[in-house]
Amino acid sequence: MKHIMDIRELEITAELAQIALTPVELERLGREVTQMVSYFEKMKEVDTDGLEPTTHAFVKANRVRPDAVKPSTLADAALERAPELEDRFIVIPNVL
Amino acid sequence: MAKLEDSWRRFSEKAASYTAYAKAWEAKIGAFLSFNPQHNPASTSAVPAGQSPVAGLPFGVKDNIAVAGFPLTCGSKMLEGLTSPYTATAVQKLIDGGARPVGKTNLDEFGMGSSTDNSALGKTNNPWDVTRVAGGSSGGSAACVAAGQVPFALGSDTGGSVRQPAAFCGVYGLKPTYGTVSRFGLTAYASSLEVIGVLATTVGLTRSVYDLIKGEDGNDQTSLKSEPGPARPVRKIGILKNLTGLAPGVEAVYRESLATLKKLGYTLVEVELPTLEYAVSAYYTIATAEASANLARFNGIRYGLRPEYAENPEDLIRKARTAGFGDEVKTRILLGSYVLRSGFQDQFYTKAQKVRTAIRRDFDRIFEEADVFLSPTFPTTAFAHGDTTMTSFQQKLADKFTVTANLTGQPGLSFPAGLADGLPVGLQVLAPVFEEGRLFEVADRFAEAVPPAACPGTSLDWSL
Amino acid sequence: MYDTFVGLEIHIHLLTKSKVFCSCKAHYGDEPNTNVCPVCLGYPGVLPVLNEEAIKLAYVVAQALNCRLSPRTLFERKNYFYPDLPKNYQISQFRDPVGENGFIDVPLGEGVTKRIRIHDVHLEEDAGKMIHAGDMSLCDYNRTGYPLLEIVTEPDLSGGEEAERFLQYFQRVVRYLHVSDGNMEEGSLRCDANISINKTGGGLGTKVEVKNLNSSRFVRKALEFEFKRQSAQFEAGTRIVQETRLWNENRDVTESMRSKESSHDYRYFPEPDLPPFVPSGDFLRLVDSLQVELPLARRERLKTTWGLSAEQADFVSESKSLADYFETTAKASGQGASVANWLMGDVQKELKHFDLTLEASPLSSARLAQLVTLLESGRIHIKIAKQLLIAVFEENKDPETLVKEKGWEAITTESQLQPILDKVFAEHSGVVDAIRAGDQRQKGFLVGQVMQATGGRAAPALVNQLLAKALG
Repeated sequence: MKHIMDIRELEITAELAQIALTPVELERLGREVTQMVSYFEKMKEVDTDGLEPTTHAFVKANRVRPDAVKPSTLADAALERAPELEDRFIVIPNVL
Repeated sequence: MAKLEDSWRRFSEKAASYTAYAKAWEAKIGAFLSFNPQHNPASTSAVPAGQSPVAGLPFGVKDNIAVAGFPLTCGSKMLEGLTSPYTATAVQKLIDGGARPVGKTNLDEFGMGSSTDNSALGKTNNPWDVTRVAGGSSGGSAACVAAGQVPFALGSDTGGSVRQPAAFCGVYGLKPTYGTVSRFGLTAYASSLEVIGVLATTVGLTRSVYDLIKGEDGNDQTSLKSEPGPARPVRKIGILKNLTGLAPGVEAVYRESLATLKKLGYTLVEVELPTLEYAVSAYYTIATAEASANLARFNGIRYGLRPEYAENPEDLIRKARTAGFGDEVKTRILLGSYVLRSGFQDQFYTKAQKVRTAIRRDFDRIFEEADVFLSPTFPTTAFAHGDTTMTSFQQKLADKFTVTANLTGQPGLSFPAGLADGLPVGLQVLAPVFEEGRLFEVADRFAEAVPPAACPGTSLDWSL
Repeated sequence: MYDTFVGLEIHIHLLTKSKVFCSCKAHYGDEPNTNVCPVCLGYPGVLPVLNEEAIKLAYVVAQALNCRLSPRTLFERKNYFYPDLPKNYQISQFRDPVGENGFIDVPLGEGVTKRIRIHDVHLEEDAGKMIHAGDMSLCDYNRTGYPLLEIVTEPDLSGGEEAERFLQYFQRVVRYLHVSDGNMEEGSLRCDANISINKTGGGLGTKVEVKNLNSSRFVRKALEFEFKRQSAQFEAGTRIVQETRLWNENRDVTESMRSKESSHDYRYFPEPDLPPFVPSGDFLRLVDSLQVELPLARRERLKTTWGLSAEQADFVSESKSLADYFETTAKASGQGASVANWLMGDVQKELKHFDLTLEASPLSSARLAQLVTLLESGRIHIKIAKQLLIAVFEENKDPETLVKEKGWEAITTESQLQPILDKVFAEHSGVVDAIRAGDQRQKGFLVGQVMQATGGRAAPALVNQLLAKALG
């Protein structure tokens, strides 16, 4: 199988996805990612000239909602689920 | 079929014996990540049995679908301990119809897998043979229905995740037309492909549940009103001209079933599906691309896994995601991020969307030649836990029969067609958009000829 | 010696009641994390639902900026991780924004207007806010999901001063259109700038982005700083680096962000949760009906229609409500220049004194028209008119009513004035005699006495005329 993705490409991708990978993981997951990407290359064989990409399963009429406020009854419930709170702020560490 | 529902109602009223039965099976199969038959959502209304086909029935909900007060873990360490503050539209409709959610079922982490072995929080076994997988990703939902712990369960189908476990566990599994069931409350894996589906022990109940949960929803702007064409009986069934790569047992049941369908008066029409061999590529390209964005929200800040120590936000986010996601999820996120990157997007993501268009055209043509399209649901029966021949790559390739319906948005139903070496074999029937009625019709007539086998150790009349 | 090319990326909060993709309140100044719900917090399973007012206002702006309006506008996901962005992607637009290829004519000084091209106008969602406190950051998601409209100009501005004027004018435009508060202090109008310089005639240079510009003044100062910095680099033969810099308002300098900007790849792709929006004929007619005459055009028309001076026209067209008020008053009174003068002078003074806005004051345009009509028709004269204006503010009554109640109408007939004159003559017979004897200097004293006796209401011309007659 053609090895089309080098480690550097994987590292850039992992960086974009905010996932840290050890060299071992990079190797293990990289193998499958590479295998899949090679498999995806098969799509080249399909003649798609003149075909529009399908971006949505179905598009019917426009969908909008009226500009009306609904009180946020779940705000407190959501805050209860935050790992760390101070007053009503969600706290995250930030050592500069 | 009303008899089954009545017996269920009587049975679940005997709370103690119901719980004992469900728990006994649970010890064997581990279908649920949380099971609480006494949990009574505040909104549960008493609906008289005559007014709703699901009144009084307990049901399971795949743990990537929100039910207020129940956990919403998606089978991931990332969300272990998270309780949903709200309820999915589909679940709410069932509650409003008098049904009662009793637990959250196990799944491959975030719906990514075909075995439920990718769950980080529990192991689910196939009730027919506990050394085997229940399928996935809605494995818990399929297993609990097959074992009779509940008469029906909700699952989600992104690339076959309702139909394949239904086939492995010998129950019905409906993937409705995209959009006919609101996705509000379904944790997104691949938004343009997936839909909440139904797993149930009978065609009648599958249909009843679907009828209840469908409908346009203000909370989901991709939801649609189902608008089927004028009803007419199914006559022509499209089948693949060259069908290869099936396990012998599956092949045998498939051939027998074709004979049965012929006997039932259907005309079998051989059709060609030249794009089938590209379906898996297009599917995994689109699904992982969407997943890479959908799963970006899990960062340990607002809810979910928070690492013990982090120096700064970026460190926190990275540590949470690195510790919270399993290998399969990470692989798919990487894959999806890659196919969207500038320089690769046209070659992969955009190409896949065009292939998707080509596949839709193929199916449009097929449904001019036939009323429905039939194939095996999966090339094999339930495989063993840890089966080394079924690598995750092989499992993906085997999704080829199911992913097409997700790419086209069309409805599909897996129905139990027989047994191979004591394991259920499911066949899948597909129909044009909104024509779920045709699927139920074919599955119903088939069941009259070949009634589905019950899983050993279960009882459908609940007299125990 | 150098050409400078400046382009702006302006973000405005649209004036909607609720957020763009959920029904939470879009409101400043509430307690942290109160206007939040599972949708804007990015809970698992939630979906965006498009606010129709937001998409409408987006089209209103795009049309006002002469853009090609998209017949099928599409939302896309812009992928990047940031703690204030709950989903870690922003729903934005990329390939099919609401509007593209527009322009706006902007007054950039005395009689100078310049056409600035608009690259595109697109609708997106705002992020939350992070406050840094010691070794932690505090996240507030109230602002998350505010409808944000981004307007991107072409690099048609020639430097900091033009950019500042453009921004000030743009602020008036969005207020005229009533699509945004345009308030830079509250952050409902935000601006990033990009600047490149090159030897005259050399075309665009290397683009440097400048962020953290919280007022139009900072936009000017930052761009002026950048010009100096970049031209010095040019002189020194140093290559200018394409980068993003932050304005440091305490030190009056821009500083390199030193981020891993190169690794930014937003991986835009169509938002599968939102179908494309296809404006209908009715929708486009509605958008069209919401167009207004923009400040520049309005100013020019006020000059020609009402004969206003440049200064008057500038003042009156500052806001749409003032221009509307002016025109209503001018039409009702038939007086343009006079109304403009009142607005610029005494009305301003009294508004300040009573600490009121024109809208909230008792001085409706009908009342100002009445006042101006009373003055111009000679029924009251200027001194009374000024008193009358104060009375309207104090008593909240119509000028006509006040003039009647207070008997302020000018004395303009001989029969009314003669008896008063006679009385003054009788009281000051010595002065009268002196004048008759030739001491003309004392005449003014008598005028003053008549005015005092009439409470200032006597028409001065008539007083003079009668005095002349009586004193020969």
